[in-house]
Amino acid sequence: MILPLGYLVSLIIFISVYALFGLGLNLQWGFTGLINFGHVAFMAVGAYTTVLLSLQGVPLFIAALIGAALAALLGLLVGISTLRLREDYLAIVTIGLSEMIRLIVNNQELPVGNGQWRSGVFGLQGFPLPFSNVTLNPLLQFFLIAVLTGIAGIGGWQLWRWMRKKLQQGKMSQSTPIASLIMGIIGGVLGLIVYLVGLLSLLDANSFTYKTGLMVVLLLVLTVVFWALERLVKAPWGRVLKAIREDEQVPKALGKNVFWYKLQSLMLGGAIAGFAGAFYAWQLATVYPDNFQPQITFDAWTIIILGGAGNNYGTLLGTIIFWAYFEGTRFVLPGLLPFDDARLGAFRIMVIGLLLIILMMVRPQGILGKKEELTLGK
Amino acid sequence: MVNNPSDSLSDVPLNEPQTDLDEILKQVEDAPSRPQPSDNLLLSANGVNKSFGGLKAVDNATLEVSQGSITGLIGPNGAGKTTLFNLISNFIRPDSGRVIFDGEPVESLAPHQIAQMGMIRTFQVARVLSRLSVMENMLLAAQKQTGEKFWNVWFRAHEVKQEEKDLRERAIAILESVGLAHKANDYAGSLSGGQRKLLEMGRALMSQPKLILLDEPAAGVNPTLINQICDRILTWNREGMTFLIIEHNMDVIMSLCDRVWVLAEGRNLAVGTPEEIQNNSQVLEAYLGK
Ligand SMILES: Nc1ncnc2c1ncn2[C@@H]1O[C@H](COP(=O)(O)OP(=O)(O)OP(=O)(O)O)[C@@H](O)[C@H]1O
Ligand SMILES: [Mg+2]
Repeated sequence: MILPLGYLVSLIIFISVYALFGLGLNLQWGFTGLINFGHVAFMAVGAYTTVLLSLQGVPLFIAALIGAALAALLGLLVGISTLRLREDYLAIVTIGLSEMIRLIVNNQELPVGNGQWRSGVFGLQGFPLPFSNVTLNPLLQFFLIAVLTGIAGIGGWQLWRWMRKKLQQGKMSQSTPIASLIMGIIGGVLGLIVYLVGLLSLLDANSFTYKTGLMVVLLLVLTVVFWALERLVKAPWGRVLKAIREDEQVPKALGKNVFWYKLQSLMLGGAIAGFAGAFYAWQLATVYPDNFQPQITFDAWTIIILGGAGNNYGTLLGTIIFWAYFEGTRFVLPGLLPFDDARLGAFRIMVIGLLLIILMMVRPQGILGKKEELTLGK
Repeated sequence: MVNNPSDSLSDVPLNEPQTDLDEILKQVEDAPSRPQPSDNLLLSANGVNKSFGGLKAVDNATLEVSQGSITGLIGPNGAGKTTLFNLISNFIRPDSGRVIFDGEPVESLAPHQIAQMGMIRTFQVARVLSRLSVMENMLLAAQKQTGEKFWNVWFRAHEVKQEEKDLRERAIAILESVGLAHKANDYAGSLSGGQRKLLEMGRALMSQPKLILLDEPAAGVNPTLINQICDRILTWNREGMTFLIIEHNMDVIMSLCDRVWVLAEGRNLAVGTPEEIQNNSQVLEAYLGK
């Protein structure tokens, strides 16, 4: 192998965590139009709740669910206190809140188990991780492979259906949908890589680490959340959210409780980010307040704008491009530029900023966004 | 023609009087199907006030709409008509006053609750959901949708699907009646100003309300389309819908309304049948200036 399997597994986990995190923001902003500049706050609440509860002996999955629930509760509180005000207040309050939560876990004494308390600035280590004390017996091996294959099957089938639709549309309009074809092929190849990485690391029982198991579970969670969101936004429930995004006076005049729908969107998006937080913590295995810098929020914004707001597939694609860029430049740039690490880091962020500006000029609707939407009058 | 009857008589073909008679007969036939507005008040606003800073936009205004009627609300620019609409539907809270809709006081209800009771308003500048299709704009309007509740999307999926299908049929029927059926799958943002007015009206109808408040349905609409809009309003009224209409186009007011309320500088100026209003010297003065 050119790239070590362990690295690819970690990368897939990071991409999936960001995708999950981005999907939450896409629900709030892409579909409902809520400007949330403090999305990382939900992730921090999810991560810390999960870790701290599991240190007290709460089973991992239950701890993660409670973390997501608390993140939703945070959404409720933020929403109740700001959503009745002008819409830009939400942006200001959320960014303040995310910094506040980071500073609280930085300065607070936290219960780290066995009745001990320790200042948050030292971070949290040695907390329970999923699959950490598990040996890969044949039954588990079979189960994980089955789950992975199931996900790959569903993904492949969806991709196939999408490609076929595009081809038919192309036939009707007498044009070859080259962009869609390329996109589909890239998607297929990426999916295949993920599947092979998972399969290879599952087949060899000796090289099994907790991360392999984590990856499979996370892919499953991502698939379920993605499917659930797609279903919700296509239902009348999602139609109300989109109506709020377009012009909230209209749903209001048609008898929809706009405030309540905004709250639901904020809470559900927050819960998804909170859940992503649990996986984020498990992947990192040590958690520091600095892992929840506002930069994470803006990474998610970048991802959504890249892919096209209000499009869940776009969020997935945006995440992959975002990570491909960051990992690619990490390996390639040091050989090309005589910069030290800190400068290189700043340079990479600068370049992605530049790329976003160019994208906004060339394709303001994002990669998967619909061009017609830009020509519409308000 | 009118000045020289003998000339015109010699010009007209023989069957001309026949058609006139047909038309008169048709009108007689039509007349009974137009429901006489009852004395039941569907909406009454009493002593409503609203100030914006020092400006008294609506000053102790009163307005009544009887069940089954088409009621007009007119007045010069800035008279406070739109503001009164906003106060009635509680999009803006009145400083004081009483609004009773369908037998219940509504001043303390949220705008969406009033809409749920069956009072649907439209906007002076039509508001459409640009990046949703015309069809989706229509579907949104339907009331009490099962699939609008989060849990129902999961636990009553079948019902949601069926309902969606039925709503689509109803929406298409209404779109056909306002001449927008061929636009059903287009973005609402791609519609022209007049088409947006029609969509907004169709959307209001889609919610099956008891009362529709129209704010200048004919503004910026070409004459042919105005006729079409008036036609629609009359048809729907025959089917039992009550309307309250703000309009500057006097032809529209005259041809549609049973009763007209006149507002000037936020205050009631007059009320009566269109003919009475037309001949009211105070009203003319308000419009033309002293
Ligand atoms: N939100 C507001 N803030 C301040 N002043 C307002 C507001 N809304 C309306 N006004 C003022 O109240 C007065 C009445 O306005 P309104 O829109 O109700 O008039 P209108 O009768 O609908 O006029 P038009 O026929 O031109 O639509 C105007 O002088 C207007 O400037
Ligand atoms: Mg007005």
